[in-house]
Amino acid sequence: MASVSFKNIEKSFGATKIIHGISFDISDGEFVVLVGPSGCGKSTLLRMLAGLEPISGGVITIDDKVINDLDSKDRDIAMVFQSYALYPHMTVRDNMAFSLKLRKADAELTNTRVANAARILNLDPLLDRFPRELSGGQRQRVAMGRAIVRDPKVFLFDEPLSNLDAKLRVAMRAEIKALHQRLKTTTVYVTHDQIEAMTMADRIVVMHDGIVEQIGTPLELFDHPGNLFVAQFIGSPSMNVLKGTLRQADGREWVEALGQQWPSLTHAQARDGQSVHYGVRPTDITVSASGNGIPAKVIVVEPTGAETELLLEVGGAQLVVVMHGRTAVQPDDVVHLEITAEKSHVFDGTTEKRLD
Amino acid sequence: MSAVAIQAGDTPAARKSGGMTSWEKWGLILVIPYLLIFVVFVIYPVGYGLWLARHPESYTKLFADPIFFRTLVNTLIFVVVAVNVKMVVALFLSGFFLHTRWWIKALSLVFILPWAVPSIPTILSMRFMLNPEWGVINSAIFKLTGMDGPNWLNDPTLALSFSMLAHIWKSLPFWTLILLAGRMAIPGEQYEAASVDGASNWQKFCFITWPSMRSLFLTSTILSMIWTLGDFNSVYLLTGGGPADLTHVLATLGIRYLRLDQVDLSLASIVVALPLILPLVYFMMKRLSK
Amino acid sequence: MSAGLRKSRITWKMVSTEAKLLLIGIPVFLWTIIPIYHMVLFSISPRNAATSGRLWPKEPTLSNFSFVFQQKHFYLDHFWAQLGNSLVIALSVGALTLAVSTAAAFAISRLKVRGGRTVMNMALFTYFIPAAFLAVPMYKTMGNYGLLNSQWSLILAMVTIASPYCIWVLKQASDKLPWELDEAARMDGATAMQLFRLVYLPLMVPSLVAVGTYALLLAWNEYLYAFLLLSKDSSVTLAVALGNFLAADDSPWELLMTTGLIYALPPAAIYYAFKRYMVSGLTAGAVKS
Ligand SMILES: Nc1ncnc2c1ncn2[C@@H]1O[C@H](COP(=O)(O)OP(=O)(O)OP(=O)(O)O)[C@@H](O)[C@H]1O
Ligand SMILES: [Mg+2]
Repeated sequence: MASVSFKNIEKSFGATKIIHGISFDISDGEFVVLVGPSGCGKSTLLRMLAGLEPISGGVITIDDKVINDLDSKDRDIAMVFQSYALYPHMTVRDNMAFSLKLRKADAELTNTRVANAARILNLDPLLDRFPRELSGGQRQRVAMGRAIVRDPKVFLFDEPLSNLDAKLRVAMRAEIKALHQRLKTTTVYVTHDQIEAMTMADRIVVMHDGIVEQIGTPLELFDHPGNLFVAQFIGSPSMNVLKGTLRQADGREWVEALGQQWPSLTHAQARDGQSVHYGVRPTDITVSASGNGIPAKVIVVEPTGAETELLLEVGGAQLVVVMHGRTAVQPDDVVHLEITAEKSHVFDGTTEKRLD
Repeated sequence: MSAVAIQAGDTPAARKSGGMTSWEKWGLILVIPYLLIFVVFVIYPVGYGLWLARHPESYTKLFADPIFFRTLVNTLIFVVVAVNVKMVVALFLSGFFLHTRWWIKALSLVFILPWAVPSIPTILSMRFMLNPEWGVINSAIFKLTGMDGPNWLNDPTLALSFSMLAHIWKSLPFWTLILLAGRMAIPGEQYEAASVDGASNWQKFCFITWPSMRSLFLTSTILSMIWTLGDFNSVYLLTGGGPADLTHVLATLGIRYLRLDQVDLSLASIVVALPLILPLVYFMMKRLSK
Repeated sequence: MSAGLRKSRITWKMVSTEAKLLLIGIPVFLWTIIPIYHMVLFSISPRNAATSGRLWPKEPTLSNFSFVFQQKHFYLDHFWAQLGNSLVIALSVGALTLAVSTAAAFAISRLKVRGGRTVMNMALFTYFIPAAFLAVPMYKTMGNYGLLNSQWSLILAMVTIASPYCIWVLKQASDKLPWELDEAARMDGATAMQLFRLVYLPLMVPSLVAVGTYALLLAWNEYLYAFLLLSKDSSVTLAVALGNFLAADDSPWELLMTTGLIYALPPAAIYYAFKRYMVSGLTAGAVKS
């Protein structure tokens, strides 16, 4: 049980600086997901917390104690690696007991802890196997078991699911989440998959090019993305974004883009004629065959069963719309789009910051 | 917060225990044995040897020794002929051992023997085979023709040739094995694709095998040249440098001088060999220390 | 074209391939086996029958072996002692080389010791300098150190010659171990030495076997250094003793060949026993191009 805090963390490899002053706090028992595109520095940040990478600048504290100069073994942190990093020459049992053995814990304690972890993760029948005799999902569980046995202050996960197939990934996602709810150990979880982030996190830290773009609960990020990057990164399919001009008249506000008028709420900071990015999520557009709204031509119809995804064209640009259920719409049909102003997102054209 | 900030100022450079983590310390401790060996048994001998070989007179004396030039020529012949013959044969045989037959597998076990057993007994065995009076070769010649065979090792040309054969006999298996490993690393699909395109065996060799083996073959040849330059046994045990010191190579000449108590000449002959070796060593270092 | 005709043509082609293979295989076999068979033939032939020109002695005998084992010849006075010397020296070189080079490879590859690259290059350089050229300086050096005629001189010289290649092979193999294993061990609380003992060594066993065998065989087979550095009849290795037979023209060949055979058998046996490790371990190093 512990709180973690990053203060102005910086990291350079040689002359290249790849993390530019990151600060945020993680409270006790929280499940925080670091998410961002490949190469943005997530793993590096996690590894600095783990003590596997020296910290170039700033301080990391665990429970208000500065840990910059502690060896990783003295930080009381356990980590699950993407490649699992199980010791190939040890059985599952020995893999899990290894850290306790190094700490010279007594045999009884070790046995109870291993048995406990094995029970939680359904590893009992596998305890005497070697890692090479396990499936990917089982290895993944052993890697978690190895972390649980230590009963650390903080769990770290670095893309633990990316070597699994899609179905197993969903199952393991739920398992990790359930595990966290049961153990309530502070957890930092790195992924580049925003769905993993959305489904698992108490709070998400969106990173990009070595800085933090936004921190918030999954729904905060989804409903109020602070900038264009977060808007497009969170949510799948990703948000439709149009470049346009903001118009204000009669206390009303809208965005002109692609020769159409797109409804938006009024923004205090906005001024008439400002260039903006107009965003709307595919699920927030209503399509009707006739009536009013913005006309659009259907290009592709992709039914997935419960939902139907439409690819539409408006004024030379393409939009994605997700409809519930099924539709009779055919390619080349012309449909009409309706958007409620509350569901729109407007970002400044140059700073790409959200307008409020 | 400000207290933390002050601490932050000196963290990046700060390291524990005299600027070294315990891991770095162990790293140092663990390389020290080898470093000691290197300093005591490589640096010191080489330095001492160069120091002993510092007198110009040694070189004048060396160059004045007729054996020395003969040795240089022998060494060049040995390296150029023996290595190239050996490598070409090894390349050919590596193709042969690629075939899957039970008897080829069995043969490969026998074939490796010359490399797996020490040189002395086998080279001495060859030496006895070549003995003019009792050796099996001349006995056979006598039985078949009623005439005495030649005194094989008493003719410098023949003696050097047999040394080269002994050298090839000893090291051919190793290089065949290396080139075989290289051949096995070529994906089979390439050959299948070539077969579909109607390539002949020779074309397959030219367009698939050789391009992928060229670099390995070159490296192997250079390495083999270096090792051949240092092959003492094949010459010393078979001919002893004789007859009349006419079959020495650089590897045995130094020992000959040493036995004659001419240490300065001995070391000078090694120093003279350096221009031959160092470029090859440099080439190998560049290749392998990537 | 009928099926039968086609079939017979294929068979003919197969026969010709087999014939070609045999045409290569038989000479290769003879070339390889003749000097070895010649040695075996001598060792089982009675004293005067060895040179009879027969392919198999009329009365094969093991009396040569009993001669050797009972040291019943002037050249063989110290046979058992020399065999023992060869063994002790080879085992010591194997063990020492293994210790020195494993430690160095671990430090360079896994602990990333500063200057590790330089150490590696120094080792490679030593590896490429032919041992014969280092022999005379080494002989003079051992004289300076006062080690001449002590078996330590040969052991240390052979460790010097064997370890560069061993370090290199071990480093190549170490570099292939996943880096995360070390990190996982560090997070599990392992010290550098615990990582070495509990994770690194067990995973390196195949390469360690290859490298240890290499060093052992190198020392057992060594002739030049052994005859330079050791001289007392009771302290030389069997290799030197065999070389001493050459001193006289009337050497008892059948005894020399018998002793030679006894001397050659252990390395051959070891080679075959560890063939799997040797071939993969040693060619993996050399094939990198
Ligand atoms: N040891 C290193 N030396 C030099 N550069 C490095 C090193 N490790 C990482 N980098 C660089 O730092 C940047 C961030 O790497 P990091 O591994 O943290 O990315 P990531 O966000 O985890 O990406 P991914 O999702 O692909 O794992 C990358 O540009 C990478 O090239
Ligand atoms: Mg990463």
